[in-house]
Amino acid sequence: MSNPRLSHSAALILKALSLGYRYGFDVMEVTGLPSGTVYPALRRLERDALVASRWEPEEDAVASQRPARRYYEVTREGKAAALAATERYPLLAHLVPEKHA
Amino acid sequence: MSHLLPSPLPPFDRYLLSVMEKFVPASEREEWLLAWQSELWHKHHLARRTQFAFPAPDLTTGLIRDALWLWGDGWRRTFQGTATLCLAVLLSLFVLAAAAGLVLNGSWQSLASSLADQFKRFLVEVPLILFVTLAISPRRHTDQSATSRKLYWLKRQLFLGAKTSLTLLLMFLLSADLCQPMHAATPNVADFLQIFSFTILALVGLRWALHDHGQRCKQCLRSLASPTPIGRPSHNLLEWSGSELICKQGHGALSIPEMETSWCESSEWVSQSPSWDRVAST
Repeated sequence: MSNPRLSHSAALILKALSLGYRYGFDVMEVTGLPSGTVYPALRRLERDALVASRWEPEEDAVASQRPARRYYEVTREGKAAALAATERYPLLAHLVPEKHA
Repeated sequence: MSHLLPSPLPPFDRYLLSVMEKFVPASEREEWLLAWQSELWHKHHLARRTQFAFPAPDLTTGLIRDALWLWGDGWRRTFQGTATLCLAVLLSLFVLAAAAGLVLNGSWQSLASSLADQFKRFLVEVPLILFVTLAISPRRHTDQSATSRKLYWLKRQLFLGAKTSLTLLLMFLLSADLCQPMHAATPNVADFLQIFSFTILALVGLRWALHDHGQRCKQCLRSLASPTPIGRPSHNLLEWSGSELICKQGHGALSIPEMETSWCESSEWVSQSPSWDRVAST
């Protein structure tokens, strides 16, 4: 399957997700993109099967006394697309720092 | 799934959620609400923690755009490739062309009088154009299970009739609009150009209408998707090669040969066995 051509914003979001940022608010903070860009882009990436979402386990959230979050993970196709996007936008790798656990 | 928030959201956020959730398709509403309640809660929690360090990012735009995206996507999934959308687009273009004609002529009366003569010619030209289009139409499709699907056949013919009529009327109005500016100065040249442009536009339009019709599901009339090449063109004398399109609703597949051969002259529609419907529904 050929990689879909991603916009710079979508590539940046995909890069952030591939570096370990897992939810919309987190992606917004690290990329500096506005919420009006990030959330619809996440929907599009999920529709195109480049990312998949799942709910955080309820018990983890309860233990931290906060509501469960919706986590996004990059799929195999998404990893290939992120790699292609990094070649297309070489500065992308410098824009998002790797997430430390 | 239900999540309890450790502390309630501010009234504005609750109001915004209650308004925007109406745009989200019912099947996705609950999850959307949970996801946004969680995001908003985390935002306010962060704002409380870092009150003086930096302002928390605004999520209002994201929430609204996310709900609207889901709303638009729901419409897209419902209507994409449907016969209804096709006819609606043609009708919209027809109305636009009529509006352009109205602007060019100045009034309805003037538009009606200028179209009256051209419409008489249109009635003569249409049978000829239809004859030529059908004569040069490249392929006909065979339906393996056509005998038991009279209702679907009737639906297909009605759709083709409506699409063809709208296409011809649209092309007629477009050709009239194109030649209207020169009608006052050189009426004969304008009439000739109108006939010529209508013939060309109608041939192209009908060709598209037939091509589009051939690539629709024979049951639900949605556009077929996922074209897949099958076989190798270099082995054409030994085995079948061409492309296959499928109906996303699972009604069947259309096999289109790469080259017409004596043993495979036409495209073939293979309906999915009704027994698969039960499997698909479970």
